[in-house]
Formats: sequence, structure tokens, C-alpha cells
Amino acid sequence: MNVGALTKKVLQAALFYEIWDAMKVTFQHMFHRPITFQYPREQRTIPDAHRGALGLLRYDDGHERCVGCDLCEAACPSRCIKVISAEDPSRPLQRYATEFYIDITKCVFCGYCVEACPVNALAMTKMYEFSTHDKRTLLFDKKRLYDIGERHLDDAKKYLYAHNQEKNVEESREYRYYFPQSVLKSTQSPPKHLS
Amino acid sequence: MGLKPATNPDVEAATIELTIDGKTVTAKDGVSLYDVISMTGKIIPAMCYHYTFDPFGSCGMCLVMQEGKKAPVRSCTAKATAGMIIRTEGDDLFLARKKAVEKHLSVHPLDCPVCDADGHCELQDMAFEHGVTNLANAKQKFIPEDTRSPVLDFNMNRCIACAECINVCKDVLMIDALQFMKKGGFNQVVPKGDVALDCEFCGDCLAVCPVGAITNKFSKYLYKPWQMKKTTTTCNYCGDGCQLYLETKDEEVIRVTSPLSWKNKWGDRSETAKGHGGLCVRGRFGFEYLDGKTRLRNPLVREHNQLVEKPWIETMQTLVDRFTAITHRHGADAIAGLITARCTNEELYLFQKLMRTVFGTNHLDSSARYGHMNFVHASKHAVGLGRTHNDWEDLTKAKAVLVIGSNLTETNPLTAMRIKEAIRVYKAQVVTLDSAVTNMAKLASHPLLINPGTEGAVIDGLVKTAIDQDLVDEESVKKHPRAFDALKAAVGTLSLEQISAHTGLSSETFKEIVALFAESPRSIILCAEGIVRRTNGYQNVLKLIDLAWITGKLDRPGCGVSTVTEEPNEQGAVDMGVAPEFLPGQARFDDAAARDRFAKAWDAPLPQAGTGSHLVDILNRCRSGQIKALYILGENPLGTLPASLEVRTALEHVELLVVQDPFLTQTGRQAHFVLPACTYAEKDGTFTNLEGRVLRVRQAMDPLGDSLPDWHIMTALANAMGAHWEYQSVNDIQAEILKLVPGYYNLGQPRKIVPTPDHYLSDGYAAEVGARYRASEGHDQTRPFSLQMGQVLMHSGKMSTEAPGLIKIAPNTGKLHMNIRDMEQLGVQEGVKVCLASERGSLQLGVQPDQSVAPGTCFFPEHFNEPPVKDLMTVSIDPVTGVPAFKQCWVSIERA
Repeated sequence: MNVGALTKKVLQAALFYEIWDAMKVTFQHMFHRPITFQYPREQRTIPDAHRGALGLLRYDDGHERCVGCDLCEAACPSRCIKVISAEDPSRPLQRYATEFYIDITKCVFCGYCVEACPVNALAMTKMYEFSTHDKRTLLFDKKRLYDIGERHLDDAKKYLYAHNQEKNVEESREYRYYFPQSVLKSTQSPPKHLS
Repeated sequence: MGLKPATNPDVEAATIELTIDGKTVTAKDGVSLYDVISMTGKIIPAMCYHYTFDPFGSCGMCLVMQEGKKAPVRSCTAKATAGMIIRTEGDDLFLARKKAVEKHLSVHPLDCPVCDADGHCELQDMAFEHGVTNLANAKQKFIPEDTRSPVLDFNMNRCIACAECINVCKDVLMIDALQFMKKGGFNQVVPKGDVALDCEFCGDCLAVCPVGAITNKFSKYLYKPWQMKKTTTTCNYCGDGCQLYLETKDEEVIRVTSPLSWKNKWGDRSETAKGHGGLCVRGRFGFEYLDGKTRLRNPLVREHNQLVEKPWIETMQTLVDRFTAITHRHGADAIAGLITARCTNEELYLFQKLMRTVFGTNHLDSSARYGHMNFVHASKHAVGLGRTHNDWEDLTKAKAVLVIGSNLTETNPLTAMRIKEAIRVYKAQVVTLDSAVTNMAKLASHPLLINPGTEGAVIDGLVKTAIDQDLVDEESVKKHPRAFDALKAAVGTLSLEQISAHTGLSSETFKEIVALFAESPRSIILCAEGIVRRTNGYQNVLKLIDLAWITGKLDRPGCGVSTVTEEPNEQGAVDMGVAPEFLPGQARFDDAAARDRFAKAWDAPLPQAGTGSHLVDILNRCRSGQIKALYILGENPLGTLPASLEVRTALEHVELLVVQDPFLTQTGRQAHFVLPACTYAEKDGTFTNLEGRVLRVRQAMDPLGDSLPDWHIMTALANAMGAHWEYQSVNDIQAEILKLVPGYYNLGQPRKIVPTPDHYLSDGYAAEVGARYRASEGHDQTRPFSLQMGQVLMHSGKMSTEAPGLIKIAPNTGKLHMNIRDMEQLGVQEGVKVCLASERGSLQLGVQPDQSVAPGTCFFPEHFNEPPVKDLMTVSIDPVTGVPAFKQCWVSIERA
């Protein structure tokens, strides 16, 4: 060991250099804005495309959108959806889901079910807080799903828009398959017995 | 007809050559071009085409370019001619086909998410394949759904007017219940006359509909096709042994589909000779009993005169104790068993093994004893073949069919289809001889109505006419001159005038029928319940064999005497030896060599040769107290046999009555133990159909509740009784049958066995034939009406009454079916009560007119016991086969 190095070491020891050096980071942070997020007192802003809890939607007139076509069940990679359907007794030629279950513990939040839905009855919301003491409540039934859909209707609509599902047809054509023509756009008006 | 000449044994079409996509192809002249192209393996889309009927050409998809023509041609309706140059691929053709799909889609509601055919729809496939994403102008039909029919809904918004339903109904099934009608500016499929659909409800229109226009009411909007598990299995309603797909979801049976479907539309017409793959109403819509609410789910044990649910282990313990006690006290002869022919071959085999080796008794019988045994015994006696002589292909290709005593379209609808095809494609002449106006008679070339109960006399007349008019086949007769002389002498005592008067057929008619039958190259006699389930069934079958022999129709290919069976496995029951006289493989029970072989294989002594009793004897022995324990597997003698056989007293006399059944039957309510058995949907195994084909039964769902397959229960019972059976599955039982009855599981067309009557005709024939032909006596004139009990199309035995769908289509009206003329003569209208009296008693019931009932007769379906019409029946027991005949008797009808 040479003299210069020895002097430096003695000087550093006398002036507590290591301590000052280590405290530098601490002092620097005293003047920063804190980055840590105080969840749950603070809530993060969530992007529209966020894939959170699933909800079922209604049309503006209150009718259930879901026609019980079972396509979501077919699309689901984790097989967490179960749909049981029947003929709608009040409307001829219509089908609806009598029961609808999503096992949210199995759900992988891939959003395929929403994409598969031909009538945009399913949507994902920004809701992600569904921790519970009882695991059984995590099997969402039809009522719960409609509740979620109703409570988070705005989020659900934003989700569908963000995923190009409720944009106008031309823009989203590249993104998803459409039935050739909307049923509602007929060239005839419906006859008396149906109107 | 005409586009597809059926290649039949008599006609061979000329061969031509044409070029398809640069390759030279040979084909039969006059065939549809589409068929020629599909034979090369190329698939051109077509939505209105199905190989079972003639091309219709409405969908416009099967376009091809023919050299020399500017526009594409429809290949299905174009005839293949020599030298054609055809192109099947290319952008222009793709665009032309796409245009056709767009045309169909533009008037389609596009309600795929709602539609039941979603995922099983040809229009959807075509739209996807051709990339149809935009339609210039769509139009809606707004046709309300036709929900008037009890089984099918017609949603004509989805219809693409391909007419497959109409064509299959008219051409293949020859029922013609559907038609096109222009309504609301669109061509719609409606039931004939635009009323509620009233047909045989076979549902083949539903099977061939390529879109969702015809919907199954039973599974409407429940599940999508991809959600259901599909199991190929064999129907267990009748002996036809149709293959069907049981579609299940978890523990529920959702629907039944058939191999006939728009999906397999390519085929050769000659293949349909073995069946067109369709189903009947029972097979397609009678599945609801499988998971019905009335199914037994737990064992029941009688305690204080009530049946109480008990766990299996406890039930089996007490049951085995009771069986052991009875064997100890009264010996093995005090136990008897009955089994239904709705069980699989493996279970039937196990049942007779259980009775013979574990219990040591030979008192066992199956429901083949109700009629099929008559045919088996007669045919085995005469030609050494204990089953029907002809298969479906023979029936289809026959030139003359003599249908005697058979309402074939009701009892065995798919065998009837073979005869319909014979009429339609091969131009067969069909003679029907029956005392009812059957549906087959409506299609037959010689529909003949005979007086009730004179089937035997009709056969006498036929044999006599054949001999008198010298319509005999010299070659066959010369081989056995002594037998022929004896037959001649026996028939000589009869007078044709008397027979004519008795049967109601003129001697000219007899001549015509026999000439037709004798002169056709391939003639088949088909006899069924009107022969084998009636008095003298055994002798009448032998007489029919005589007729076939003297006209040379017994040992020629495509000829023979055939029958049909009511239950799916009656043939299997005989083959598996579930009869006191047979061991498995139809070996005689008293045949020493066979006894040795089976005793060695089973490692147990067999009951004494010469012991054993059949159904009626078993009931007699129960009554006399010789039989103390009766093990009934699926049978329901109390619900089937008339009161005069005193079944109830017999059952009350036994100390132990064990009933093993999927349902709590009338007999089950009397039982001390009721064991819950599985239906065919919950077990593996095989059925032997009426042709002798062995067909697989596959498990489609888990056993309901605590019910178990019959073989499982029997194995448990045998082991508890001290046997060492090591059957883990049905395969183990099959392996054993394979060893003991070699060649039984051919699982395909049964081996053709040429019936050889030589032994029978040269040995002892002369002695027995004399007693066979006797002038028949008239009946008591104070009872002018013939009461007949029989099957109706929608039902089979008592089992179908557990299927709510079938009951909805054909409920028990509780009314006597009569001819309208008889009703007018008696002065009664529909619903008016009459008093029906036979030797056995009388009862009052309403009447209803029925077009299929001939004057002088009345009919009541055998499936219903409310009111108990069956108890009016008189019983006669065949002296040779022990078959109880109780389906016809003489009654008087008076206004009550």
C-alpha cells in the first residue's frame, strides 16, 4: 500500500465519508415527489381497454342483449363460462339465457368471450376488486353479471369502443367478423303481427 | 326417376367416358353429372342435393363449366353423357357460387346466434367458405313460426327452399306429408294442405334440413351442436337395430340424431339397400325416458307391505340370504327367471349362466317366447337356421314380397322402408295379406284384405293353389318326391271353395298371388305378428316354408321366409340360450356334447337334461307352489299377459319375487325386491338385430342415481351366492362368448347361410305334414267382431309409455278403434261407450273411428292397460313351442 492511498483512507475515516456517501441517496429522496401509490386510499386511473370483471349488458330499452348463443362458452380457453338457454316466451323466434355462470376464479381475463359475442352483450369493466372471504361467491351468476353490467355501464361501453366493437362497421371490419348484414336493416317494414 | 338408374341385379347401365378437370373418367350412362364428379373424390358444394333421392336443382351451388356452353351448368340435374368436358374449379365458378350463396343469404334472417343449427348449418359453412361479408340488399320474410306440430317447428324465415325435406318425405319415405306453398310472397314448406303436421313423425325431414328451418321441439334452443357429447349406439325399440347418435349433456339426453343427415349427402344409391340411415318416431323422439323422472334410482325392499328405499349393500345381503334359504329348503328347481329381450347379448348370456350354474335351475325364459320362438323353432326344424333367412338387402332387391300378417310400417318402420325401396326403385310387386288396412297395403301392388284370424287358411289356399295350378318348381320338388307326395295328399283333403269362403279371397286371387310369387326371380315371404303371435303360429310358419319349398324359393339367393322382431334383441335372446330348450349358440339343451362343452367351460354342472319350463309353465308352477322364487329382469308379465293366465295369483304365490327394471312396473309393485337397472344408454354391449347382425351399444352417460347395469348386478349376485365370476367389464363377458360361440361377434353382415331343407324333407316330413293341413272351423257367430291387439307406430311394448314425447304424440285414448261403417251400423258416434264382451268377460269403453281397421274387426293398442282390454283375450298355447297367443279373440259389441 503506498502513502497516497493510506492518507486518503485515514482522511475518509476521520470525516465519516462512507456515511455521508450512503446518506446522499436518502437526502436526495427527501426532495423528490413520492412515487409509491397509496392503494386503496388512492385509486389509479385505468385505461379504457382494461380487462377487468365481466358484466352482461342490456339494451337501452331494458331488454337483455344476450341471446344465449353459447359462443362465449365456445370461445373461452379456460372453460369458465356456462350458458343454459331457452326460447323467450314473450318474444317469438327469440332465445335468451335462462342461466349464465362465469367462474371468475378460473377466468384468465383474455377477453375472447367479449369478442365472440355477436350482440355485444358481454363486456369487461374496470372493476377488479372482488376479493371475498367465501370463494363460492366468485361463481358469478346471471343476476350478479347484470348487476356488474348495470353498475359499470359506462366503463363497459368504453371497453367495447376501445376494442373496436361498437365503432361503426367500416372501421372495425378489419378487426372482427361481422354477420353479413344487420338484421335490423331490412328493406321492408315488419308486418302487423310483429310490430 | 331416371337420373339415377339404380344398378339392380337385372339391369346394367352402359358405361361411358367423360373428362373432368383434364382426367378421363368412366361412369354409368344416365347418371347425374354431380354423382360422377363426387365419385372422383371432388366435392362441389351443393345444398339441395342428397344421394337418397333424385336431384332437385334449386340451390344453384353445384355449378361447373361444360365445354361448348357459355354459362355454368348445374351439375346435379345435368345428365352425364359421353365425351363431356367438364371443369369444376376456377375463379369464375367460385364467384358464381358466391353469388348463389349471397342470393340465399339476402332473404335469410341471419339469426345464427339464436338458431339451433348454428355450427351445423350448410348455409353458414358456405357463407364462410366463400367469404360473404356484405350483401347489397337484404330482405326479411317475417313469416311467423309454425308451431302446430307436436314435435317439429317450422321456421320458414330460415328456409332456403332446397326441398330436401319434401323430397326425402316423398321419394324415400313415400309418406308425402310436406309440400311447397306460396304464402306471403315466398315459397314455404308447409304440411300437406297447410294444416298441423300429421304424419309418421320420423323426423327425417329434420335430419336432412341443411339450415335451421325445421327445428326439433324437444331440444329447441337448449344447446348448440358443439356442446353435446355424441355417442353412436343402437336403438332399443324394435328389432331393426338402427344406428343412432345419442346426444347428451352431462346427465341429460338432449336429442337423438341419425346417420341420415345433410352432412353425409354423398353416396351411392345402391348403398341404401342396407338402410338409408334414417330413424322412426320412436328412435328419434322417444328418448325422454332415459333420464326421466320415473326412473328408479335406488333399490326398493318390501317392508310391512310397502316398498322402502334401501342401500345396495343391505338389499343384496338380504336378497342373497332369501335366495340361499329357498335353495336349501326347496332345492334349485324352486327358482325361475324371466328376462326381457331389451337387454344386451352379454346380459342375456350372463342371465342364463346365472340361472343354470349358480342357481342350478333350467326354468328360464325371455320375451322372445311371445312370438319369435315360433319362427325360430319352425325354421330351425325345417331348414336348420334359427333366424330369419333374408337380410335388408335381400328385401330391397326382391321382385316379389308376400307380406302376411304384418303391419310392418307400425312395428318395424325401417324394415318397411326396405320394402318401400323395393317398390320404388326395383319395381317389386308386393302382396299384403292382413285383416287390417295397413300402410303397407296402401303402397302394395296387391293389397288384399282377409277375414280376421284366417291367416293359416290363406296359407293353406296358397299351397293348394300352387300344387293344383302346377306352379311348383320341378327341380326342388323332384329332389324329394316322397315329401311332395305327402304334401299333395295332405292338401288334397282341402277344398279351395271352402277356403275362399272362409278367408274372403277368391280362387282367382289365390292363383294370381301364387303365380306372381312363383314366377318372380327373387321372392320373399315376410310373416310377423299376425302369424307368429297367433294360434298355430308354429304350424303356419312351417306351412309358409312348405310354400317356399315347392315354389323353389327356399334355397335360392335372395329368396326365403323372413320375420321381424318386436324387441331389439329377441334374436340375441335365442342365440344366447335364454330358453329352457337352448344353450348359447342355439345348441339344444339336451345335446350331450354341447352340455359337456358348456359344463366344462363354466366349471359347473348343468341342470338335468329334460328339465326346465318356459314362460307359461313357469307361471303354472308358481301357482302350484313348485316355484318359490322368481327373478324377473325387465319383464312385466302382469302388464302383458291377459288375466286368464292368472299371473297375479302366480306372483302372489311365490315366496320371493325379485324385479330388476329401470322403472317401477306393474309387476315391480308386487315384488319383494326391486333392483334399479340401467337403460341401454348407460351401458356397453351388443344387440343382435332381426337380420342377425350384431350391433354395438355404447355407454352415453353415467348410470342415473344408484342404478347399475344388469350385468353388474348379476355378477354381484352370483359372487354373493358363492360363484367366482371375474367380470370387470362387458369385454370380459364378450371374450367368454367369443370362445363358446365362435364367430358370433362378426359385427357386420351376418354370414349368409343357405337354408337346406333336405334333412327335414327326407326324414319324418311325410308323417308330420298330414296333421298340418286341416280345414279350419268357423267361429262362434254370437261374437261377430274380431278384437285385435297390436302395436302402434309411436309405441313399443310398455317402455315407450314412459317417454312423455311419444305419449304426447300418441296418448292412450282409452277408446276402441273401429271401422266407421261398423260404428254407423251399431249407431254409435265417436266417444260413445259400447259394451265389449268376450268369453272372458266384458267391459265398457268408448269408440273412435280408425281408417286402418277393417269392417268386422276392432283394435286396441297393446301398450295400454287402461281400460284393461287385454284381460278380455283368450289364450291358446302352442303345443310345440309353448308360445302363448293372446292377440286376437272374438267379441260382441253392443251399445252400452
